[in-house]
Amino acid sequence: MDNRSTSAVLDSVAAMELWHSHLLREKIDQSSLLVQGNRACALGALDAGVRFFAGYPITPSSEIMEAMAYELPRVGGVFVQMEDEIASICACIGASLSGWLGMTATSGPGFSLMQEAIGYAIMVEAPLVIVDVMREGPSTGRVSAPSQGDVMQARWGTHGDHPAIVLAASNVADMYRLTMAAVRFAQRFRTPVTLLADEVVGHMRESFSPELVGRYRLTSGDFDFTPGYVHPDLAREVHPPHILGSEAHPHVTGCTHDETGFPTNDAKKSERFLHELYDKVTNHRDELCLYDVKNEGKGRVCVVAYGSCARSARAAWRLAELEGLPVEVLHLYTLFPLPIEVIQTVARRVEFMLIPELNLGQYAREVRKLAENWTTVISMGKIDGTLITPREILDQVTRLIGKYESV
Amino acid sequence: MNPSANAPQGVRAAGPEETETPRVSARVGLLADRDFVEVRFCGSGGQGLLLMGLILAVAANHDHRCVVQTESYGPEARGGHSRSDVIISDTAIDYPTLDSADLLVALSQEAADGYTRSLRREGILMYDSGKVTNPPSFPGMTIGVPFTRLATEETGRPQTTNVLTLGAVVGITGVVSVESLTKAVMEAVPAGTTEVNARALARGLALDYAEWMVDSC
Repeated sequence: MDNRSTSAVLDSVAAMELWHSHLLREKIDQSSLLVQGNRACALGALDAGVRFFAGYPITPSSEIMEAMAYELPRVGGVFVQMEDEIASICACIGASLSGWLGMTATSGPGFSLMQEAIGYAIMVEAPLVIVDVMREGPSTGRVSAPSQGDVMQARWGTHGDHPAIVLAASNVADMYRLTMAAVRFAQRFRTPVTLLADEVVGHMRESFSPELVGRYRLTSGDFDFTPGYVHPDLAREVHPPHILGSEAHPHVTGCTHDETGFPTNDAKKSERFLHELYDKVTNHRDELCLYDVKNEGKGRVCVVAYGSCARSARAAWRLAELEGLPVEVLHLYTLFPLPIEVIQTVARRVEFMLIPELNLGQYAREVRKLAENWTTVISMGKIDGTLITPREILDQVTRLIGKYESV
Repeated sequence: MNPSANAPQGVRAAGPEETETPRVSARVGLLADRDFVEVRFCGSGGQGLLLMGLILAVAANHDHRCVVQTESYGPEARGGHSRSDVIISDTAIDYPTLDSADLLVALSQEAADGYTRSLRREGILMYDSGKVTNPPSFPGMTIGVPFTRLATEETGRPQTTNVLTLGAVVGITGVVSVESLTKAVMEAVPAGTTEVNARALARGLALDYAEWMVDSC
């Protein structure tokens, strides 16, 4: 390691991982490689065709930016390190209004700063991908403690009634494929898409091969980056974009506007416009809601989980199998729009829904609203900066089933 | 630690998306036949612990096994706590962080004191006997090697301690194959240091643990 500084050694670690990233694409015969979650996210973005990234570094998301800074110039893209997160997301909106697709990555404190501009992006229908690698909050919190505290911020962080598409990654393969899915959704529905990852998912390194990511895998053929393009099946719902720098002189405003792009005070027009923004997302729940059920139809308790907690839930399910406990796992990759049908279908057949989260039950409240007519919803929150262990989930399951037996 | 430590091996069993791949090379050592191993490296910042975890994880990946590596460190460039955990399994790994370690490698007194309780009773404790002058009480197999001194003697550079220690870890436990470890070390070390690191690695691999066994307390 010579007499080099720590940072030089860490640089060599980074270089090694980047080298692995290159290998990923060059040697597809290789069964798997060790990749960090954040780098897999950057790879997914690049493979999906993202060519603009503006950001401001923050733990635990910095490696995404680092990888984009390294890779984008090599593929003809643009990378800008901005002065803060507000500038970062605004640069991304500018890119998107110019016919590109802007992407940024941050963590809670930066995500808070971005909220105003996210509302603007929704209003002007600028496609964006925002990756929020969640650390413990509020405020500066603990920089490398995993958390899922930004779930409702991702849904309602910006003011006004607005749609939101929010995905949650639970492993390195997810970071790759859900980033691709986020790009696709942003592009199709012309709205910001937030990808949430717990700190541990962003920072962990795991065996991974893009060839083996299985479900929800997209290829570059699934994307169309032609400026102003709207897929024909959405032509009636998504407003065709006005591209800055084209021959026309478009007007873009955060004010409620009509199809000309100019503000309107007309009650009917503004109501219709806001409904259209909302409906273009909620009418496509089936396409947007990605999920996975383990042990489908065989459980008395269903553990509903996302992010790192879904991994604990799966491990708990395997332990439960050994102990003969009837447990299902509903693993959600899409948190919003709410997978109403999916949750209610499961709620109709199980006695309990258990929701382990690294927050004080933010998503459990959403599930409760949907499911409480059919089942008992129990929130299992933890905010000490450690993960919920499989045993903790299993103990809770045992208690629930035991309580039922004794009644 | 958590009671699931006592769960049968292999409970975190196969995900359907995994494909079987033949192992590339044989592993020999105390933990070589395990289908699920948890390893924790701990010490203070600047000792190269994160790199150790990364190299071991890359090596396990070269062995075509499933691996998850996580880490935790303080904001200091040197000093402060530093920890890197590696989980190696023949099947997909669900729960991503370390539950209880099969092998704990401690390079500082503070780390040895703080983390020995994360080791399972039948696990293996290895520490730098030059740094850990007051070894924690642990009933299982305990191996104290003056890693830093050996590395300095071998290469003249205390910075090669982490590579020498990795060599010792793999020589004794066989958690990864020697072939994969060598490949991973050579990928990781900075240009111009290949030769000294190769020497440190060879010295570590050649360690006879019987010589360094400490009586269990």
